[in-house]
Amino acid sequence: MKPRRIGGLGRVVRFAAEVGDAVVQAARSLLAHRLRAALTIAGVSVGIMAVIVIFMVEAGMTNSFASQLNSLGPNTLYVHKWAWGVGGNDWWKLRNRPVVSQLDYRAVVANATLPLAVAPLANAEAVVARGEKEVAHVDVRGTAEAFLDAGGWQLRRGRFISDLDHELGSDACVIGADLEDAFFKGQEPLGQRLKVGPTARCTVVGSLVRKGNAFGRSQDGLLVLPLSSFLRTFGARRGLTIAVVAPAGKVMETEDEIVAVMRAARRLGPDQADNFSVNRQDKILQGFNQTMMVTNLVGILVGVITAIVAGIGIMNILLVSVKERTREIGIRRALGARRASILMQFLCEAVMVALVGGALGVALGAGAAALIDLVSPMPASIDPKVVLGGVLGSCLLGAVFGLWPALSAAFLPPIDALRHE
Amino acid sequence: MALIELDHIGKAYDLGLTRVHALRDIHLAIEPGEFVAIIGQSGSGKSTLMNILGCLDVPTTGRYRLAGRDVSELADDELADVRNLEIGFVFQSFQLLPRASALENVELPLIYRGIPRKERRERAIEALRRVQLDDRMKHKPTELSGGQRQRVAIARALVTEPSLLLADEPTGNLDSRTGEEIVGLFLDLHRKGNTIVLVTHEPKLAARCPRAVRIVDGLVIADGPGVEVAMANAEAMGAEVVAQVLAASAVAEAAARARAPEAPGS
Repeated sequence: MKPRRIGGLGRVVRFAAEVGDAVVQAARSLLAHRLRAALTIAGVSVGIMAVIVIFMVEAGMTNSFASQLNSLGPNTLYVHKWAWGVGGNDWWKLRNRPVVSQLDYRAVVANATLPLAVAPLANAEAVVARGEKEVAHVDVRGTAEAFLDAGGWQLRRGRFISDLDHELGSDACVIGADLEDAFFKGQEPLGQRLKVGPTARCTVVGSLVRKGNAFGRSQDGLLVLPLSSFLRTFGARRGLTIAVVAPAGKVMETEDEIVAVMRAARRLGPDQADNFSVNRQDKILQGFNQTMMVTNLVGILVGVITAIVAGIGIMNILLVSVKERTREIGIRRALGARRASILMQFLCEAVMVALVGGALGVALGAGAAALIDLVSPMPASIDPKVVLGGVLGSCLLGAVFGLWPALSAAFLPPIDALRHE
Repeated sequence: MALIELDHIGKAYDLGLTRVHALRDIHLAIEPGEFVAIIGQSGSGKSTLMNILGCLDVPTTGRYRLAGRDVSELADDELADVRNLEIGFVFQSFQLLPRASALENVELPLIYRGIPRKERRERAIEALRRVQLDDRMKHKPTELSGGQRQRVAIARALVTEPSLLLADEPTGNLDSRTGEEIVGLFLDLHRKGNTIVLVTHEPKLAARCPRAVRIVDGLVIADGPGVEVAMANAEAMGAEVVAQVLAASAVAEAAARARAPEAPGS
């Protein structure tokens, strides 16, 4: 008598047939317990959605931060006493530096060859009033003509502060869109007088095109004075920031030149360190990235927790299913199912629950993205990588958390399983 | 060569401090084409023997050769393959998948055999036809009567064309008329050349089989023609059982005469 065998082709067919059977049985098992399955699926989908939304919001924040930084001007350098994005430890080293003064500004204007524009900046917060009407917390700037280019502003009406205004210390001023709306709704602002702070008066000579929000606050509530007039009103010893617009692609060279000019102006010896900083917007980015890393970690933590909660749900539904189908396991084992066949069958059920949940979660996430896009100024969208990640991630979740129940099913002794009531 | 060769088979269970010997020293050979009843009271070890014969369990001592292959030391996966290739099970409680139709139930072992879908379907339909259930293929087990369920189970056992049909109290959950129907089906399958081992505690059922083996306390104490073994067993159980066995053997003889009218002296 020759022992029978299952041949190579038979094994391939067997595998395919087992997979097909496992899918059908898993679907039947879930449909037979709709409520139970639906609850677990809801758990998985809410988890997946939460993770997707968290990462989407993070990506949105990063994107909008980057575009806001761009509004500072990508090629603009800012010479300042303080270094941007520097933590508390260096504060002590920097606090004894001299402030950037008008002399430094004149030195840069006179000696630097590369910059397209150089503008001095000084700012203070003050109350601006016209008759009875007052606006508090106005961002008052003292600057010169080049401010318009350095800051990426555009004129809406009239003219900007000219270098002549600066030289003469004239009472001209230019107002941002918020102030124009506040004081001159439907009126001609040019030529009107405003009271700035307790003592100063100025005449509106121009207004600026609205720039929108940056870092959560309006940029348009500003009033620009000639630097000399500003210093006369708010104090001459106030430190300046010098904005230097570098030609595109020559930012590094311009930075080097500014450093050299500044060191010469301040007569620093070769052994002395810079007592000023040349800041670029990407230094802010560094600080921002550090903040975002924390947010990222929180996101990952929330993701892990939701995955574990959803996974426990899957494990639970599967343990119940294994218990209920113990007899079936025995029957299948008696008919020739190997351990791997049983394992696959239950893994299939786990993955199916997770996959349906994951797909639903991705759909919910996409819905949330559309909603965020609609109601908030932050652009939100879901990219295909997230969809793929959500689907694959949920598959993995199902497989990982289904493994233990599936293994316990596969290693049931066939006789015990058959006798199970 | 015998289909089944049990060589000093023993099976012991460790229950904490004590060791229970379910089977002590079973020595048994079954030829292809035989119809053997294994008879014994509950606790006699007949279920353990049935599990070992069915490769659902492995003996602790001794050697078991099934269809030319020593299965006493096979790994779990190999045992699964042997169960699929060589054995067709019929259980007392039918053991059908509740959510699958009759046809899907019968197809199931062919999945584990690696038979392509189309052939699976054809063979399952053919097997259901052999038990006269081809008109109930789409029915779920809950929509079938007990006798019909057992016939689905028999179709499932037959569909793989096993070397051995192993039936564990196949009439135990059926009323006597339906039970008789199933016994008739087994006798018919035996006539068509199937090897059948039927485990039962009922002497009247053993009396219908050409050969019976009686197990007591894990040992074979009688092995011979079904009627004789059943009678010896029945005498110990009382007059009513003796009457049942006599009636059963009369039925068996009548059936044998009806099958072979030309045979002299019958």
